[in-house]
Formats: sequence, C-alpha cells, structure tokens
Amino acid sequence: MKPWARYVICAVAGLALGAGAAVQRVRTGAFGASTAIGPWTTGKDFGTAGASAYTRAVVSLRGILALPAHEARYYNAAVDSAGEPLDGKCRYRVSGKAIPTKWWSLTLYDHPGYLVANQANVFSVASARVPNPASWSVVVAPAEQAGLWLPTGRIERFELTLRTYLPDDGGVGNLARDQLPSIVKEGC
Amino acid sequence: MRRWALPLLLGLILGVVGYNLMMMQFPRVLMGFATQRISKAGGYNTMFAAPMATDKARAIVRPSPDLAYSSCPYDVSNGPVLVDVEPVPAPYWSLSVFDARTDVAFVRNNIEANGQPIRIAIALAGQPVPNGMQAVRVSGSTGIALVRILVQDRTQFPAIDAARKKSSCKPLS
Repeated sequence: MKPWARYVICAVAGLALGAGAAVQRVRTGAFGASTAIGPWTTGKDFGTAGASAYTRAVVSLRGILALPAHEARYYNAAVDSAGEPLDGKCRYRVSGKAIPTKWWSLTLYDHPGYLVANQANVFSVASARVPNPASWSVVVAPAEQAGLWLPTGRIERFELTLRTYLPDDGGVGNLARDQLPSIVKEGC
Repeated sequence: MRRWALPLLLGLILGVVGYNLMMMQFPRVLMGFATQRISKAGGYNTMFAAPMATDKARAIVRPSPDLAYSSCPYDVSNGPVLVDVEPVPAPYWSLSVFDARTDVAFVRNNIEANGQPIRIAIALAGQPVPNGMQAVRVSGSTGIALVRILVQDRTQFPAIDAARKKSSCKPLS
C-alpha cells in the first residue's frame, strides 16, 4: 500500500468516527442532562452564549427554543424516583409541594419530544389547575383517573418535563430534591 | 506497524476535530431546519399565530400545550426586521429572539414590559435601525422571534387569539 493511501484511510476514518461519536452522544443525551436531582435532570445555561457545545447540541435536538434560566427552568424526567424508566403502561403518582416560581406546568412527551395522542386530549397539568399548590399530586396513567390525570397513551417510554416560569431566585439555583415532585410507580 | 503510526496519529487528531466540528454544527443545522419548517406556515418576516399544540404538532420538539405560540422566522440579510408585540389578556406573555446558533438574543415578558407593547428591530451588527426603536443584534441572518402566551383555560383562547393577531413582524424596507 502506498504511504499516502494509509494517510487518506486514517484521515477519513478519523473524521467519520469523530463525527459519528458526536452524533451518537447528542442522540442519546437527555434534555438538560447537566445536573441530576433525583429522577429529574436540568441545566441552567440553555440559550446562553455560555452553554457548552454539547448542551447547545442536545437542547437543539431535544428542546429547541428553550428560554434562559431567569425566564424559565426546565426539569426533565425519563425515570421514576426509583430510577426505573417511565413506562406508558404503568400508573405513577407525581406528588409535589409549593414550587417557588410564578407558575409551572408538567407535560408528558414521547422520547423524541412530541406530545402523546390520547382520547382525553390532555397533555399537561399546570399550576393553575392544582387546588392546593402546597401539596398536590397528579396521576400519570394510561386509563382515566380521578383528580388530576395525565394520560400516557400507553406508549412504551415517556418523559415528563416540569417547566417553572419566572423562578423566584431568578433561575440561578436548582430546585432541591424535596422541592421537586416525586414520581412513584403505583402499578402496571 | 510503524508505517501506520503517523497515519493513525493523523486519524486520531482528525477524529477529535470531526467530533468538535459536528458538535458545533448541530445547533446551527437544527435551528436552520426549525426556521425553515416554521416559515412554511407563513413565510419569513411575518408573524404566524400557531394553533395550540397537540400530539399532531411536529414543527418544534417539546412544545408546551399551555402556551399559544406566535412565531416570526426572520431573515435580516436584506435589512432589519421590526417586531411589534401587542399586549394580550393573559397572565404571562413574552417575546424572545433566537439567533442562528440557538442563543437567546433578547427576551422580555409582560411584567418587565409593564403590560405595554414590545417593539424591537432585529438587525445584524452595523445595520441602522429607526430612532427610538430597540435594536436586537443577532449573529447570523436567520432565526426565530417567538411570542409565548400562557393559556390557563382553553375557553380563554379565542380572546387571546384575537388579541395576539394584532402583533406583527415585517421587514424595515
């Protein structure tokens, strides 16, 4: 083999492997994966010039047009409080306390980040619908439930995104584990 | 094997280069796709009032079903674009401007605006904007200006929808 051919082969392979590794890392990245708090992941540099190339890439794939931290914080969960993946055929209770923010909403998505079809056409629960903001719970389940219900559409895997708009601390800090809702599986 | 040492070193270096190049290009490429997809609804430099998001919505990932979105895919390559957001009867609304790299060049909500209209001119560095108008300088000629409006109850949507359609986005010239 000619010497130049070895250089060409290694150069092309190196570029392809490097680019492929970047694509794979972004595709498997979770929205706001820079900090894990219980089942929730979050980040606070979305939409800023200070965001790392990785954060910027994952946000562009999983949650493009996300607002900066002082306007909104995004907490995403793909697992329950026991660390098990969220399964659309199971029933979960999401329980929380007062969240220090102007308003919040909890939305269910499929893994690519789209809303999930369901007969009730319910896609989220917002703070305005919660009777007692200091102690609330939402049942996430495939079949209709009493009280606040977020349908899963029976999809195999789903994710929950908690948006907190105009956080009291200006978005500089993360919510603590006991300020974030727990996600407890009640049955399948 | 020694004949492969330098080519393998080159491959390793280019692997790192390829990784970083791809990582840096990701947001720009995906933002370009998003801008194009949104522009299909109403074109560039016009405000499009999208219906409330449902499971059928595919223009943007992770849409909020609690928000009514109006969007203006802008292109400032031929001059500034003026965005005028009129107040709506909702507890929260905001205007944000995202540049070609997905960075937020501007964001203001109804509380910061004291419920008054928000008027900005999106422009590249060096492009003159009208006197008295706030210039929002962006990197890259295309991006998205996005109005978010909180709809706490969908029965309120018709009134909000009528009010938000008074907002506009248009080229300066």
